[in-house]
Amino acid sequence: MALNRDLRIATGAVVCVDSKLDGPITIGPRTVVHPKACIVAEGGPIVIGESNIFEEQCLIKHNANANTDRPRTLKIGSNNVFEVGCVISAKSVGDNNVFESNCFVGPEIEVGNGCIIGVGISLERPEKLPDNLVITGGNYNRTIAADKPPAQTLQLDFLTKVLPNYHHLRKPKDRPNVL
Amino acid sequence: MSYLVQEDFVRYECTCGSLSPIPKLYFCRHCLKLRCGYCVCHEVDSHYCSNCMEHLPSAEAKMKKNRCVMCFDCPNCFHTLSIRATTRAPEDGSNKGHLKHYYLSCFFCRWTTRDVGIPDQIASSGNWPLKENPHQELLSSFLEHYKVVAMRERSQKDKKPIFPRRGYSTYTEKFGLTNLIARKRAGLPSLPLPGKEVNPASIPPIKPCVATDVIDTLPASYFTDVPDLTKITTIAQRHANPMIQATVASELHPQHRHFFIKRSLRCRSCEHNVSKPEYNPASIKFKIQQAAYYHVPEIRIKTFEPLRAGKPSEIILKVTNPTSHVTSLSFSPKSEVNKGGVSDSVILDSLGAPKKTVEIPRPVVQDEPNTQVELPTEPIVLPARDDAAEYDDSGDTHNFHDDANVVVWRKGNKAAVKFRIVPDRGMKPGDRSIFSFSMEYGYVNTMPTTAEQKSPQRAEMQVNVLIAPGLIVGNLD
Amino acid sequence: MALYEGLSAEKQAVVLDLGSRYTKFGFVGEYSPRCIIPSEIRCPRTNKVRRIYDYENEQDLYSLLVAFIHKLYFKHVLVSPKDRNVVIVESLLCPTFIRDTLASVLFRHYEVSSILFVPSQLVALYALGVRSALVVDIGHEEAQVIPVYEGVPVLTAWEAQQLAGRAVENRIRDNLVRAYKDFAGASGDAPMPIPGVDVASLPESVIEDIKVRACFVTTRGRGEAIADGKPPPEPPVLEYLLEGNQMLLVPGWVRESSCEVIFERDNEEASLANLILDSIRKCPIDSRVTLAENIVLVGGTAMLPGFKARLMEELKFLMKTSYENRLAFSTVKFHTPPAKENYTCWLGGAIFGSTDMIQMRAFTRESYLTKKAVPDWSNLATNILYLSKLTI
Repeated sequence: MALNRDLRIATGAVVCVDSKLDGPITIGPRTVVHPKACIVAEGGPIVIGESNIFEEQCLIKHNANANTDRPRTLKIGSNNVFEVGCVISAKSVGDNNVFESNCFVGPEIEVGNGCIIGVGISLERPEKLPDNLVITGGNYNRTIAADKPPAQTLQLDFLTKVLPNYHHLRKPKDRPNVL
Repeated sequence: MSYLVQEDFVRYECTCGSLSPIPKLYFCRHCLKLRCGYCVCHEVDSHYCSNCMEHLPSAEAKMKKNRCVMCFDCPNCFHTLSIRATTRAPEDGSNKGHLKHYYLSCFFCRWTTRDVGIPDQIASSGNWPLKENPHQELLSSFLEHYKVVAMRERSQKDKKPIFPRRGYSTYTEKFGLTNLIARKRAGLPSLPLPGKEVNPASIPPIKPCVATDVIDTLPASYFTDVPDLTKITTIAQRHANPMIQATVASELHPQHRHFFIKRSLRCRSCEHNVSKPEYNPASIKFKIQQAAYYHVPEIRIKTFEPLRAGKPSEIILKVTNPTSHVTSLSFSPKSEVNKGGVSDSVILDSLGAPKKTVEIPRPVVQDEPNTQVELPTEPIVLPARDDAAEYDDSGDTHNFHDDANVVVWRKGNKAAVKFRIVPDRGMKPGDRSIFSFSMEYGYVNTMPTTAEQKSPQRAEMQVNVLIAPGLIVGNLD
Repeated sequence: MALYEGLSAEKQAVVLDLGSRYTKFGFVGEYSPRCIIPSEIRCPRTNKVRRIYDYENEQDLYSLLVAFIHKLYFKHVLVSPKDRNVVIVESLLCPTFIRDTLASVLFRHYEVSSILFVPSQLVALYALGVRSALVVDIGHEEAQVIPVYEGVPVLTAWEAQQLAGRAVENRIRDNLVRAYKDFAGASGDAPMPIPGVDVASLPESVIEDIKVRACFVTTRGRGEAIADGKPPPEPPVLEYLLEGNQMLLVPGWVRESSCEVIFERDNEEASLANLILDSIRKCPIDSRVTLAENIVLVGGTAMLPGFKARLMEELKFLMKTSYENRLAFSTVKFHTPPAKENYTCWLGGAIFGSTDMIQMRAFTRESYLTKKAVPDWSNLATNILYLSKLTI
């Protein structure tokens, strides 16, 4: 595995060696990146906040595209969960979102806070998702939840404890990034 | 079971005339006839909740309106709701420690009881509030009223002497609604008739609905605001709870989960069960399961040459004897063509009355054979099924004098039989080729039909088989 | 409920209201149906959803009904149909052919012990506790108006037009197609985004959903203005999402004016309000005031927002203009049934069926099998037979 010089991992983050991290990526504290998770920063840096979970086979893409108003830096907030097999290439991601298994979020989408993108949902049309939006089901039912989804504190504690027992971790590197 | 996923290539004609693959057929061992889901009598056997697998006796299930006591369905997406617990400090500030509070939440669409303002419960089983019909009292009074009215009418009718009838009838009499009765039914005092006592006091009074000319007008917001589709319920969500039919999402209310049932199937002519499941919902076994698969020789397509219109091609069918008795198969052209209509009859025996036959219309069968078939002339003997022989590699020891051109392969209770089929000349590439024949087989009935005969009875059975091997690939040349 | 079951050892009868779009099914003596489900069934052979009323011939209808009733009994009310009484709530204008097939399915295939046919317009009154009313049933296929006076339907005064849910749905589709043509025309000079939606082939479920969730019945004043081509300020456009990737723009005028089809009076003077007034005018003059002051609106389409208010406005307008001095009444009043409009008739049947009427009036399986026909008021032969049996 080529050494990613632009990678910056905060102390307290659990990032497995088997994950694929390309390009300038900053990972905040207490964030967990499972083995085989994939984060690709082609179009510019990706800055990931605190306490996110990136599960196996999830793919976060930040592609370069001169034709759109896509910001140079993809910012991912805190307390997000990216479940198994989701593909996210959104413009921006707020806090407390849940991307369920195998969902797809296209490049022209801004995700607000507290959104839940259900299993297998595929969003491609350019839009800005309002806060606490829940999209589920075969006919893409949309509802606005009263509350943001609960934070995955227990799960994070568990993973932080267990993952190091079975996987090699990338060492936290706090040296300045090339942003 | 490849039968579950594949197309129905080989179909048997049921006694009622419908065509089904063999796993969907039943075999009534009392009348020695094939039965299918269409021509047996379905009965509700037991009620259970598919979520918690709780099962209730029918009477109790009826009391609970066929709904599970514990489980709830999400009113938003109809998935099952789960109970979630949160700990919260007591609101009065006392330091009794943290109390556990419970609410219901849908893991699929993330709907919670908090969304619609249902307060959290202290017990995990929860005394979740249920909505009552807002018009319960009024409707109950109507019900009582009309019951008494009808009862009086009935008792009067029983007493009424026979009047000579006029030679014509009016529409109102179809429903027995002469003006007099209609007045009474509507709760009016009857017009005084000579010799009849009317006692209106015994009829419970009702308060009829009152009409009004004040109708709420459409709120002006309809003309200025964009409807928020996330807050307006869909028609499926409304109909899920017919009593409430909430139009806005904030009025959705969870309902107890509806039960599922296990069904038992009964032969209509002899009233014996052909299928009866075990009571326990967790069990997938049956007390009685007279599937045709265990009684009727099974036919499968082994291989066939590409089909061309007008050109003969060979097809090899594998026949299997599922019974523990030797049988002999012979083939003949299909006996009769089912074109719907009425044929099957059922004996109805009601309280000593002469036995009546009830005709059940046949299901329509649309597939007509379009391919000629050359059938083997000699019967094919199939040995009994022997599970041990499956693993016996010592080779076949039996001596059958088979025509090698007909029986191309044999092992245990199975044999591969060669047929020649010729699709009709007019067929185009892409058409589905269908041929049919009648199969006669010997069946040994081990079920004692009457008290006297204890020994197994041999019977000659016949079944029509329709086979659709595939599509025509090209023309003669 | 418990009291009822204690009184009668018989199996609790079921009530069936087979609508052209939705079917209501439940038990007698209950105040709401156990289920309201679309009158459609997935064909096991072709795996396509087929509506019951889209049958090809009698045999086809028979097999559709067999499959559909199986679903009703074994999925929704969970009782065995055999030897159980059925109350069928049917419109007085229900075709004999459907009625016969339904009876055949229930008696022959499901072996029910008896059927009690009750006219929906008549039993709707049982849910209200009144004795006279003008029953206006606006369902999916048709709007039917039948006056019931002192418990007797005035059959000579019936009126019916295809002004109901389906007409509204067709209008929504037409309007959307028009709107999208306009978008395409307008995009020549303005950069109007044309969402690539094939409006003409939108599935019926989408159109129905737009009808239920986004459309409304506007006021008379605005409706007139739209009809005159001088549309008032348009309600805002709705962005309707089709799955994840397409957006359907539903302009405000489509949402507002699609329900107008029920109230348009353009050429034949056949709006719903006309039907109601015509029907009352056919009734004897001394019954008209009672009928006009007891109008009962039933059927799902009557639940559209603004529907009742608009109908009231229309009636008042017509009474002042074209029907002036021809009516012999001056006020109209609507009832508010103690139920939702879409199951009011069912509820009436459930109340009626819980009385002794089943034992007295029901048509039993034995007599069906001997007569091989269902008695009907339009058939004189069975009528006489049926009546002679009643008197003996």
